[in-house]
Amino acid sequence: MDKTGRLAIRAVEIALLASAFILVIVGTITGDSFYLRLATEALIFGGLALSVDLLLGIVGLLSLGQALYFGFGAYLSALILKEVYPSFLLAMCLVGIFSAALGYIASFIALRSKGVYFALITFGLAQVVAKGVYNTRALGASDGLIGVPVIKLWTPFGELDTANPSVLFGLTFLVILCLYYCVKYFLTTPMGSIWRGIRSNEHRLSFIGIESTGPKRFAFVIAAIVAGLSGALYPILRGFVSPELLYFAVSGNAVITVVLGGVGTLIGAIFGSVLLTVLKSVIGTITAHHHIVIGLIFVFVVIAAPGGLVGWLKKKLDMRLGADRD
Amino acid sequence: MIETLQFVYAPQIINGLSIGVAVILMALGLTIIFGLLDVINMSHGEFYAAGAFLGLTLVAIGVPFWVCIVLVPAVLFPLGVITEKFLIQKVFNSKERHILTLLLTFGIAIVLEDLFKIIWGANPSKLDSPIQGAVDLLGVMFPKYRLFLMIFGALIITGVWVLIYRTPIGAIIRASAHDRNMAASLGIPVTWVHALTFGFGVALAGLAGILLAPIYSVFPTMGKDFILMAFSVVIVGGLGSIKGAVVAGLLLTQLQSISSLFISPVWSDPLVFGVMIIVLMFKPSGLYGGLKNG
Amino acid sequence: MTENRNNQKILVAQELSKSFGGLKAVENVSFSIEQYGVTSIIGPNGAGKSTFFNLINGAIKIDSGQVSFKGEDITDLTPSNRLRRGMARSFQITNLFFDLTVLNNLQLACQFIEDRKRLFQQLSNSRRAYERANELLESFELEEKRDSLAGELSHGEQRRLEIAVTMASKPDLLLLDEPTQGMSHGDTNDTSELILALSKKTTVLLIEHDVELVMGLSKHVMVMSQGVKLAEGTPSEIRGNHDVQVAYFGESH
Repeated sequence: MDKTGRLAIRAVEIALLASAFILVIVGTITGDSFYLRLATEALIFGGLALSVDLLLGIVGLLSLGQALYFGFGAYLSALILKEVYPSFLLAMCLVGIFSAALGYIASFIALRSKGVYFALITFGLAQVVAKGVYNTRALGASDGLIGVPVIKLWTPFGELDTANPSVLFGLTFLVILCLYYCVKYFLTTPMGSIWRGIRSNEHRLSFIGIESTGPKRFAFVIAAIVAGLSGALYPILRGFVSPELLYFAVSGNAVITVVLGGVGTLIGAIFGSVLLTVLKSVIGTITAHHHIVIGLIFVFVVIAAPGGLVGWLKKKLDMRLGADRD
Repeated sequence: MIETLQFVYAPQIINGLSIGVAVILMALGLTIIFGLLDVINMSHGEFYAAGAFLGLTLVAIGVPFWVCIVLVPAVLFPLGVITEKFLIQKVFNSKERHILTLLLTFGIAIVLEDLFKIIWGANPSKLDSPIQGAVDLLGVMFPKYRLFLMIFGALIITGVWVLIYRTPIGAIIRASAHDRNMAASLGIPVTWVHALTFGFGVALAGLAGILLAPIYSVFPTMGKDFILMAFSVVIVGGLGSIKGAVVAGLLLTQLQSISSLFISPVWSDPLVFGVMIIVLMFKPSGLYGGLKNG
Repeated sequence: MTENRNNQKILVAQELSKSFGGLKAVENVSFSIEQYGVTSIIGPNGAGKSTFFNLINGAIKIDSGQVSFKGEDITDLTPSNRLRRGMARSFQITNLFFDLTVLNNLQLACQFIEDRKRLFQQLSNSRRAYERANELLESFELEEKRDSLAGELSHGEQRRLEIAVTMASKPDLLLLDEPTQGMSHGDTNDTSELILALSKKTTVLLIEHDVELVMGLSKHVMVMSQGVKLAEGTPSEIRGNHDVQVAYFGESH
């Protein structure tokens, strides 16, 4: 990551932070519900996209089935909140632990292969589990689970409840923020360097004494946790979960948001999610066929701007700062 | 015992064979595109759907089904060529080619799927079977169309094999796949060969689409439903192997057919997928990995 | 990193064979290397030098034969495990992490000598790796390029970095695969001096096409041709060997 790259990332981070603050303040004052909930959803899917970018942009593994962990987290969260106890901490802790376990187990299947095969295995795993969930009575079959209760949070500021859109947005924002900085932290460690090494030249690693399987597995588990915890927030926002959360459309969208934002930048994943949510809303008011528009934009970005938005920003900064240097 | 064989298993086997032939056609295109172009075509299912939709429309305006079988691939072929030349080749020379082509074709799939929805609507349609009626074989009634499908499909598959392995054109295609630079220095227009090969591959998918249209309904997301099966066949058979696509195609569709007698049909996809995973885990190159193996 | 004061052979390869399909790339080649100094393998194209090299390193599996390193049988070990025991190799076709900086390349290569528990701590805590990486930057004269991407270096610089990466773990046996490949005359001379300096503290096995370079550096040379060992001995012995002259020198002049 060179200087202008880091600068571009920092710029987007600040932009998102600032927008979040403005949104919360304005939203709370005006008693808005629509935009806050939309933003909350954008962040939740941004977390999923973050897990995709960790695997794709950092380690070099394209997972087309992260929705598996996202949906898993969502369902588990819904079940805990509904059937056990409506505690946010309880749900998050359990989802974190079990997502890790699921990721660990799945890694033994998925990591047997690389590249295309890996993409297909992850794709298939999600499809199979999605079909399984769809056909399981106990999980509500095609209707999913409804009736997830509102959660009360005890904070130094008094008792808050998640029915309040500002509270929910703030909570989601904090969770996603934590996930983002946790993943970023790993990038500053030798493990992160090894991850980048895998993406850059996996073959050479074993010749300098580093076996790549362990680090890949670790990344896979972290990605599962990130996706799972993001998914856990979903029923809190919407009050229900359904098998659609495991479908390819969800995994695919996450990949799109990562590419739009900028592969490997991490913040691009979250920004991409926000962008996609905005795009869908805007285009949705014009035509019902937002898929094709987004698809075309995506194709364009892959061909002409593979660095996504952050990449574009970096180029602009290169030009601006390069000119200054002269 | 004989009766079970006759009335329970045989129909399933025949059904499996007729579906198998179409699956093989689709997998053939996919494996050729990967084996020869090193491109994972995530939009392959959508070209399959395009074939079905096109067939639907042509029949609706009065074109005989038999003409459509020729017309549909003929239309999809140039579309495939254009897609390859103007989109895929743009990312082909990048260092991250595999990921980029995967993402690109994924994007194309999204666009196509929504395009179908726009043009033809989201509701499923059905194409009437061009050959009505059934024939009595060994005491069991088999739909004539399925028999036709098997025979016609087998002919096409044989034709493809002959084309790739026994003709000069096939030799050129294989040479370009084996060593681009060498082929180019021999005067072969490699980029055109690539584009034509891609067109050929997706034309096969479109053919499968129209052939299966009278059996399965036609709807915008039909490509996605079928793609996992096609990829499973290609992987189990070995990426790039025609023989592998045929063997795996028959095996997996038979597995799917016969297993539906014992387990609920919703689990047949997971079953096939499970086989794919096991193969990927223990023999990632598939049964006949590599185009050199025919 | 054990010290072997007596002139025990650090590497002993016995009757190594490898075939690819019907082609016998290496046929019953036995060879041993003394500690320290430069030992080389030369031979015309297709002699099987690279294959032999890869067999010793574990990159290719042996059909038959044995390899022992520092007295231990390593025939079935992976390259990674051979590295752990002190055998490192470079690549003929530069095999760096091209989209990482020179410093990052070296830090990754040096991670091996670092404590495992530092894996999840800040990179700055990996002091040992960092210091070693800086050492390498200095001794391989790459300090100025520390923040450049490996892919942006000149060919000569990349080849230098390639050797530096291989030296990172302070190996007892350094396997260099045509290190001067594609280099200019000046770069080749510099590399030659570098290898000589390295060979004082570590054993070097060299494969090379540049015969003059090899003859000037090596204390022991093996000549291969068409998969078999043609001759071995000191450079002067090899120079005087008739079979070698016919098979090899005759072609290159």
